[in-house]
Amino acid sequence: MLTLNNLYKSYGDNTVLEDISLSINNGEIVSILGSSGSGKTTLLNCLLGLVEIDAGTIELDGKDITHLPIEKRGLNIVFQDYALFPHLSAGRNIVYGWRNNPSVSTQEEVDDLIDLLDLREHLDKEIHELSGGQKQRVALARTLTLKPKVLLLDEPLSALDGVIKESIKDTIKQISEEFKLTTIIVTHDPEEALTLSDKVLILDGGKIAQYGTPQEIIEKPATKFVENFILHQLHIKRDNILKLFGDQHV
Amino acid sequence: MFKRNHELKLIYIFIFALFAIFLFYPLVLVLMRAIQTNGVISLDNIVKVISKERFVTSLSNSFLIASITALLSTGIAFFLAYTIHFTSVPKWFKKLINLVATMPMLMPTITYGFAIIYTFGKQGVFTKIFGFQPFNLYGFNGLLIGYLIYTLPIAFVLIKNTMTYIDKKQFLVSILMGDSPLRRFFHTVFRPLAYTLVIAFIQTFFLSFTDFGIPAAIGGQFEVIASTLYNQMLGSIPNFHNGAVISLVMLIPSIVAVLVVRKIEKMNVRYENISDVMLPEVKKKNWFCGIVSACIMLGVVSVFAVIFILPFVKEWPYDISFSFVHVIETFQSANLLDVVKNSFIVAIATAVCGTIVSYVAAIISARGKMPKLIRGSIDFVSTLTNALPGMVVGIGFMFAFKGTNIQNTYIILIICNVVHFFSTPYVMIKNAFMKMNLSFETTGRLLGDSWFGTLRKVMIPCSISTVFEMFSYYFINSMVTISAIIFLVGAETGVITTKIKELQHFAKFADIFVLSLLIFIANIIMKTLMNHLTKKESEKRYYVEAK
Repeated sequence: MLTLNNLYKSYGDNTVLEDISLSINNGEIVSILGSSGSGKTTLLNCLLGLVEIDAGTIELDGKDITHLPIEKRGLNIVFQDYALFPHLSAGRNIVYGWRNNPSVSTQEEVDDLIDLLDLREHLDKEIHELSGGQKQRVALARTLTLKPKVLLLDEPLSALDGVIKESIKDTIKQISEEFKLTTIIVTHDPEEALTLSDKVLILDGGKIAQYGTPQEIIEKPATKFVENFILHQLHIKRDNILKLFGDQHV
Repeated sequence: MFKRNHELKLIYIFIFALFAIFLFYPLVLVLMRAIQTNGVISLDNIVKVISKERFVTSLSNSFLIASITALLSTGIAFFLAYTIHFTSVPKWFKKLINLVATMPMLMPTITYGFAIIYTFGKQGVFTKIFGFQPFNLYGFNGLLIGYLIYTLPIAFVLIKNTMTYIDKKQFLVSILMGDSPLRRFFHTVFRPLAYTLVIAFIQTFFLSFTDFGIPAAIGGQFEVIASTLYNQMLGSIPNFHNGAVISLVMLIPSIVAVLVVRKIEKMNVRYENISDVMLPEVKKKNWFCGIVSACIMLGVVSVFAVIFILPFVKEWPYDISFSFVHVIETFQSANLLDVVKNSFIVAIATAVCGTIVSYVAAIISARGKMPKLIRGSIDFVSTLTNALPGMVVGIGFMFAFKGTNIQNTYIILIICNVVHFFSTPYVMIKNAFMKMNLSFETTGRLLGDSWFGTLRKVMIPCSISTVFEMFSYYFINSMVTISAIIFLVGAETGVITTKIKELQHFAKFADIFVLSLLIFIANIIMKTLMNHLTKKESEKRYYVEAK
C-alpha cells in the first residue's frame, strides 16, 4: 500500500501542495486529475523523489520512503514523451535497465513481456521508425522489466490518437491486473481518468478536491470545482455524442 | 511564379558572380601558382617545398600543437558546458562561465600572444607577483595557451548549444534503470554529444592549424605552417610559388574535415522531444564542477587582465603608477587614429554588405524553390568558405587583384571579409528561414504584395533578430581578423590588427593593448546593442500578441 500523509510543498510564498493525504491499495489504478497549475506534476515529482517535500511522509508497504533517492524508492515512471534512447534500437531500449539488474526478471519473463506488448516484430527498429503507440509500449516494457512496485504514468495517452488511445488503455488495465501493479496516472482529461481508474484523485489549487471511485465522483461530486469543471466537461462531450448519434446508439 | 523566379534568378546571378570572381578565381590562381613553373604545369614547386626539412618540421609542429590544442580545448569546453547544464551551481555562476568562455572572441588573436608575454614573461604580471617565471613561454607553451584561449569560445558555444538539446529526462530514466555513474554519463551525456565533440575537435584543430596571429606574437623558434606561409609571402625574400604550395597544403585538413563531417553525420543523435526537467541535486558534483570551472575561468581572466591593466600603467614594470598617458598618446597620434577609423569603416561596411549577401543567398537556398543544383551550389560555397583558412583567401586575393583598381582600397578588404566570413551568418539565417512558415510568400502574393513587398513587410521583420546576430557576427569578426587582410592592406587602409603587427616590431606594447582594448570595447558595444535590439524586437512582438 502507498500512503501519503499530510504532504506540503511550497515554492517561496506559493503553496503548490497542501495537506495531501491518501492511501492507494496494491494493484489499484489511480488517476491524478486536475487542470494546469493544480499541483499534479509537483505531486508526481514528490512521489518520484525529484522534489523534496516540505512536510509529511510517503510510505510504501509500511516503509518510509520520503527521503530515499529516486532509484531506491521502488517506483518507476513512463514519461509523457517516453524518453527513449534515440541511439539504441527498440529491443536495446527494452532491456536497458534489465541489463543493470538481471536478477530482477528472468529472460523468459522479459520475452513474455515483449509478447504481451506485441513488440516482437519491432525489436530491431530504430526509435524514429516506431509509431506513437509502439513507442509507448517500448517505454512501458523498459520500465516493467524492472518490476517496480508502483508504476507512474505521466499523461500516457495525450500524445496518442483515437484507436491507439483505446488500445493503450486496455494494455494499461491488463498490465496492472496481470502484474498486480499499483499504477498512478497523471492526466488532465476527466474522461481518461474516470474510464481507466479504480480511483480518481482530483486536485484543485494544490488541495484535494475529491478522492474516490469514478462512480462516487459522478454521483456525489464533493465540491463545486468537481461539479463545474470536471463533470461539466463530460456532460458537454455526452451531449455532443447524443446530438451526433441519437439516444439509441449510446 | 514566373515573376518571383525572375527576381530570384537575378539575385542568384549576383551571388554567383560575386563568388566566382572573389572566391573561385583567386583559389584557381593559388592552385595555378602552385603547379606552374615558368608557365609550364609541373609538380616541381610542390616537390621542392615538401622536400625541405624546414617545411616538414613546421608542418609536423602544426599538426602536433593543433591536435593537442583541439583535444584540450574540446575537453575544457565540455567541462564548462557540463557545469552549466548538468549541475545546480548558482545561476550567476553559470552566466559568468558563459561570459568568460566567450570573451576571447571579442579580441584579435595576435593580442592574446602579447597578453601571454605580459602575463607569464620575464617582466610579466605573474612573474612579478610570484617571483618566478612559470615556464618558457616562447614556442610550444605560449602557442598552446594562446590557441586554447582562441579556440575555447568556439568549442564552448558548439557544445553548450548541443547540450541544450539533450533530453534531460533520459538522465532520470538512467537513474531509475539503475545505471552506474559511468554508464549513465556515456548514454545520457557523452553519446548524444559525440558528434558535436568530433565537430568541436575538428573546428578547434582547424582554427589552431591556420591561425596566424598567435604564432606571429609568440611562436619564437617553434615554426608552424602559418608563420612559414607568412615568411614566404611577406618575408625578406618573398617566394609566391612556395607560398601557393603551402596554401594548398593548408587546405588539406579543411578537405579532410569536410569529408569526415559528412561521414560521421550518422553519429548525430536527434531527439523527438526535448524536455528540461529537474535533475536530482548532487552536492559533491556541484562543488567539484564549480571549483574546476572557477579555476579555468581564473586562467582565462588572468591572461586577459594585462590588457586592461597595462594601458593604464605609466611604464610597466618600472613605474606601475596609474596613468592615462598611453591612452592620450594613442588618441593624439594621427596615424593610430587613422587605423581606428579604417577599422570601423571596414567593419561597418562588411557587416552591412555581408548581412545583405548572406541574407539573399539564404533566401534562394531556403525559400526560393529553385532547382536543387542552384541551392546546392550556395550550400557548397558556404561549406567551402567555412573550411578555407583566412591566409589562403588573403593570398588568393593578392594574386587576383594585384594591379587592379581595387588594390589597396577599402573595397578589397570589405569583399574579402564578406567572402571569408560568409558561412556562419548564411547558416544562421538559412535555419531561421527553414523554421518560418512556408506559405508567407504565397500569402503575400495573394494579398497583392510584390516579391520585394513581402520581403520587406514579412520576411525581414520575422527574421530581424537573426539579422541583428548576423550583423554583429560580421562586425566583430572584421574587427578582430588579421589572417586574410594582412596581405591586402595598403599604406592608407591599414586596420587596427595589422597596425598591432607593425607595432610589435617597435615593441610598443602599451599602444598595442590600448588598440586591443578599443576593439574589445567596440565589440562589446556592438554585441550589447544588438542584444538590446533583439530584446526590444521580441518585446514588441509580445506586446502585439498581448494586444
